[in-house]
Amino acid sequence: MTLKVMSGNYAQSYAACLARVQVISAYPITPQTSIVEKLADLVASGELPAQFVKVESEHSAMQVCVSASALGARTYTATSSQGLLLMHELLHWAAGMRAPVVMGVVNRSVAPPWSLGADHADTMSQRDTGWIQFYAESNQEVLDTVLQAYRLAEDPAIRLPAMVSEDAFYLSHTLEPVEVPDQSLVDSFLPARDARAVLVPGVAARLGSFTGPQQYVEFRREVAKAMERVPEALRQIEKDYQSLTGRFHGGPVEYYRAGDAEAVLVTMGTMTTTARTVVDEMRAEGHRVGLAKLRLFRPFPATEIRELARRTDRIGVVDRSFTFGAAGAAATEVAAALYSGPHHPVLSNFIVGIGGREVTPNHIHAMFDRLLAGKGPEVQWMDLPLPPEEVAHG
Amino acid sequence: MAKLTIPAPELMRAGHSACPGCAPALAMRLMLKGLGPRTVVSVPACCWTVIDTPYPTTALGVAMLDNPIESTGASISGLRAAADALGIQDLNILGFAGDGGTADIGLQALSGMLERRTDAIYAMYDNEAYMNTGVQRSGSTPLGAWTTTTPVEDGARGKAEPKKDIMGIVLAHRPVYAATVNPSFPEDFVRKVEKARVLRGPRFFHIFAPCPPGWRYASDRTIEIGKRATDCGIFPLYEVEEGRYHVTRKGGALRPVSEYFQAQGRFSHLGPEDVARVQAQVTADWERLLRLENGT
Amino acid sequence: MGATLEIRFHGRGGQGAVVASELLAQAAFLDGKMPQSFPFFGVERRGAPVTAYTRIDDHPIGIRTSITTPDIVVVLESSLLRTQPVTDGLREDGLLLVNTRNPAEELMIPVPVRRAVVDANQIAVAHGLGSPTMPIVNTAVLGALVGASGVVSLKALDQAIDEFVPARRAENRAAAEDGYHAVHVVEANTPFTPPVPQAVGPTLSLPEGPVATLSSELIHTSAWRTLRPVIHLEKCTRCNFCWKFCPDDAFTFDEKGYPVVRAEYCKGCGICAVECPPRVIEMVEEA
Ligand SMILES: Cc1ncc(C[n+]2csc(CCOP(=O)(O)OP(=O)(O)O)c2C)c(N)n1
Ligand code: SF4
Ligand code: SF4
Ligand code: SF4
Repeated sequence: MTLKVMSGNYAQSYAACLARVQVISAYPITPQTSIVEKLADLVASGELPAQFVKVESEHSAMQVCVSASALGARTYTATSSQGLLLMHELLHWAAGMRAPVVMGVVNRSVAPPWSLGADHADTMSQRDTGWIQFYAESNQEVLDTVLQAYRLAEDPAIRLPAMVSEDAFYLSHTLEPVEVPDQSLVDSFLPARDARAVLVPGVAARLGSFTGPQQYVEFRREVAKAMERVPEALRQIEKDYQSLTGRFHGGPVEYYRAGDAEAVLVTMGTMTTTARTVVDEMRAEGHRVGLAKLRLFRPFPATEIRELARRTDRIGVVDRSFTFGAAGAAATEVAAALYSGPHHPVLSNFIVGIGGREVTPNHIHAMFDRLLAGKGPEVQWMDLPLPPEEVAHG
Repeated sequence: MAKLTIPAPELMRAGHSACPGCAPALAMRLMLKGLGPRTVVSVPACCWTVIDTPYPTTALGVAMLDNPIESTGASISGLRAAADALGIQDLNILGFAGDGGTADIGLQALSGMLERRTDAIYAMYDNEAYMNTGVQRSGSTPLGAWTTTTPVEDGARGKAEPKKDIMGIVLAHRPVYAATVNPSFPEDFVRKVEKARVLRGPRFFHIFAPCPPGWRYASDRTIEIGKRATDCGIFPLYEVEEGRYHVTRKGGALRPVSEYFQAQGRFSHLGPEDVARVQAQVTADWERLLRLENGT
Repeated sequence: MGATLEIRFHGRGGQGAVVASELLAQAAFLDGKMPQSFPFFGVERRGAPVTAYTRIDDHPIGIRTSITTPDIVVVLESSLLRTQPVTDGLREDGLLLVNTRNPAEELMIPVPVRRAVVDANQIAVAHGLGSPTMPIVNTAVLGALVGASGVVSLKALDQAIDEFVPARRAENRAAAEDGYHAVHVVEANTPFTPPVPQAVGPTLSLPEGPVATLSSELIHTSAWRTLRPVIHLEKCTRCNFCWKFCPDDAFTFDEKGYPVVRAEYCKGCGICAVECPPRVIEMVEEA
C-alpha cells in the first residue's frame, strides 16, 4: 500500500491498471482526457499489458468495449457529458448483452450553452440503460469503487456494466492523497474475469439475437433480477475489500450522523464532503442534522431510503441536475421509494451546483435551515434569487 | 461427380429466413466457405439480422455477434483487440453489413477501423437500398432506381443522385486488400476471400447482392442479373492489393447496360436518354479501371 | 356472431394480405362503419407466412389485441392450409374463404364451417396483376369475400380500391368484380382433421444473456414455396451448378453424386432451374 497525491482522473487510470484491464478504448473530452492519456502512457511503457483501441468517437469506444467483452476480455473506457450522450444506444447494448464493461464518467454539464462544470445531467440521462451507477465523493473512493465495480459487474449472478462517476474538476482535476493498494492485494480481491457464456471461436452461437415479445420480456426480466441482486453483492464485496484494505465506503448508502437526526440531506458526490463539515458545525451548535450519501444510484437503494425515513421526519434531497418537467432525479426516486413505505417524512428537493456552480457551506446551512423550519416548496433552486414569498418564509 | 469448384463445407445453414432468391444469403454462404469455421461475424441491423432466424436458433455455423447498425467497424476492432489481448490466434474476424449500415450510417466506424489498421475483414453486401425496413433509398442506391422514398411519379423518376463510390472511399484509406465480388461468380468470390483470409490488416469486400423484392424481379433471376451487372461493366470484378489493381473478369467487349436494366422492375420507367447517360458513365468508369490496372 | 365482426387474413409476404386487410377496413368505413386493421408485426420476408386482421363495427373498436376467434378467415393461398393453423379459433358459425383452384367440397380443414373458394390466381393473372409465379391476388380475394359474406358492399370495395391502391387501379377493380362473381360457397360439412405442424421448434429455458445456440435447420421453410424443383436425373450431368447457386443451402448429393433437393428447406426460388446448364430442373406447382 502506497500513499500518493493524485487527481480523481489518475485514480481512475490506476484503478483500471490495477484491475489488469485487457482492452481499453476511449475518445477524448474535457475533463476526462487525463484518464486516457495516463492509460496510454501505462500501456506504451509496458506497465499495463492491454490493447488500447484509439477510436474516432465515444460511440465506437463503447462498441469496442462491448464486442471485446463478448469475447471475454475485461474492458475499460471513460467519458463525460456529450461523449456519454453519444454512447447512449450502446449503453443499452452493453446491458442487454450482459457485458460487464466498467466505465469512468466525469460528470459534466450538457450543451448548450457549452460549459465544463460538474453536473449530473449526463449520467442521469442514462438511468434507464441497465447500467449500475456509482457516484464517488473522493479520489480514494474513485479508485476503490472502480475495483469494486469490476467484481460486481463480473459477478456471475449479475453480469451488468457499471459506471463510476466523479464530479468534473472537484475530483477530476483535484489532487489529494490516495492510498494505492499493492497489485498482489488487488489480484486476491479481483480474480481474472470468468468468461463463461461469451462467444467462443469455433462454436456456433449468436450473442444478441432477435426475439418476439415472448422471450424479449424474459430477457428484460433477467436484467431486472440481476439489478435486484446488486445491493447484497455489493455489501459482500465491500466486506472483502475492507478486510484487505481497511477501507469501507458504506455500501449502497453511506450515513453520516443520521441515526438520531431530525433533518437529513440526501447527497451525491463531492458536495457530501462540504456537507459533512457543516453537519459537524451544526451538531456542535446543537442541531440534530445528518447526511445520507447515495453511493449507488442504479439500482436505487430504496430499502435504505425507507430505513432512513423510519428515523427521520425531514428529508432534503440535493440534486446536481434537473429533470425538465419534473424535479431533481434523486428527489423523484426518493419520493417513489417512500410511497410504498410506512413513513412519509417532509420532503424537499434542493437543486444546487448545476453547471459547476459551487456548493458552499452556506448552501448546506440554508438547506438544513429551511428543512428544520418546516415544509417549504417542493423544489427549490438554491442559487437563484428567491421569489418574494419564499424570502418572507425563509 | 464433377469436382467441386468451391469448398464443400457449409457454414451457413438451411432454414434461414431470407426471401427466396436472396443474394445476400448466398453471399454469406460463399463468404464463410472462404473463411472457414474459426470465424467470428459481427452483424449490424440489416436484413441479415432477420435472415439469421429468431432466438433460440442461428443460421451460422460460426460465432456471431449482433451490433447496432452504425458501428460494425468498431465492433470488429473490439473483437480483434480482445483476441489479441486474450492470445486467441488464427481467428478470422468479419464484419458483414448492408450498404446502408456501411456507406451511410456506418461510414464513420468503417473509416475508423480502416484508419487504425484493424486486422479484420469488412464485407458490405450491396443490395442498393435499406431493404430490412422495406426498400428505402440509401447512398448506395443507383441513379434512377425506384425505391419507396424515391418514387416514380409524374414529376419524379426514381433516385435523382448517383450511387456513392464505396470502393473509392475505402481505397482512400489504403487497405491491404479490397475487392469486388459477385455471387454470380462463386469461384472468383471464394478465391478472393481465401486470398484475403491470410493477409493481415484491414481488408474490404464490396459484394454485389441482388434482392428480388427490392429490385422487383422474379426470384429465379438473381444469378442472371448478377452476371449481367458484371458483363455490362456496372459491377466490374477487380481487386486492389497494396494499391495494385487487377481486373479479375474481362469478358471481351462490355454488354450494353440496357440488358441489365431491362431485367428489373425498379428501372422499368427509365427512357433511352436515361439509359444512354448511365451507359456513358459506365463506359468511362470501365476505361478508368483498365487504366488503373495498367498503371497509366 | 358478436357485435364486432372479426376477420383474419392468412397469406404470404408479397401477396398483399396486409393491404387486403387495410382495403377491407377502408371499404367498411365508406359503408359508414368503424373499422380497425393491423398486421401481425413480424419480420415478413417474401414468401413467408403472414397474418393480418380487420375488425368492423358500428361503434369505435375498443380492443387492440390480435384476433383469436375470428368470424371469417381468409386464406390467400391454399398451401397455407397444410402448414399454418389457419382455422384456429374460427367460430362454428363462421366462414372460411380460400383462394384455390379446387372445389370447396374438397378443402381439407379441421372444422365444420361454411366455406367458400375462388381461383384468385387465375383472375389476377388474367388482369396482369403480379406475375404468373407470384400473382397479387388480394383484390380478387376481397371481391370474393364480399360475394360470399357481404361484410362490405361491392360499391364500397370498388371505391376503396380506386382511392387507395397505388397502381393498376382499373385492373384491380376488375379483379375484385370478377372475384365477387366467381366465388363459390358450400355449407358446413364433416371435418377432416389433419395434423397441424408446429411452426417453430423447441423452446429453451432462457439463459441470462441472449445467446442463441440451436441450428436454424430446426426451422422448415418448405411452406414458403409455391413451386418445387424436380430434377430429371437421367439428363443431369452432375455439374453441381444447382448446389453452387442455391441461396438456401437446400441441396445435398446422393451416393452417386447426383443432386438431391432437401424439400424441408427449399423455398422454390427457381434459381437452380434457371442456372442448370442442360436445363433438367423443372419447377412444378406444389400440390
Ligand atoms: C440507429 C438506427 N436507425 C435505424 C434503424 C432501422 N434499420 C434497421 S435495418 C435498416 C436498413 C439497413 O439497410 P442496409 O444496411 O442497406 O441493409 P439491408 O437492410 O438492405 O440488408 C434500418 C434503417 C436501426 N436499426 N438503427
Ligand atoms: S429483402 Fe432482399 S436482401 Fe432482404 S432478405 Fe429479402 S431478398 Fe434478401
Ligand atoms: S428452388 Fe431455390 S431454394 Fe429450392 S433448391 Fe432450387 S435454388 Fe434452392
Ligand atoms: S445443375 Fe443441372 S445438370 Fe448440374 S448437377 Fe444440377 S441438375 Fe444436374
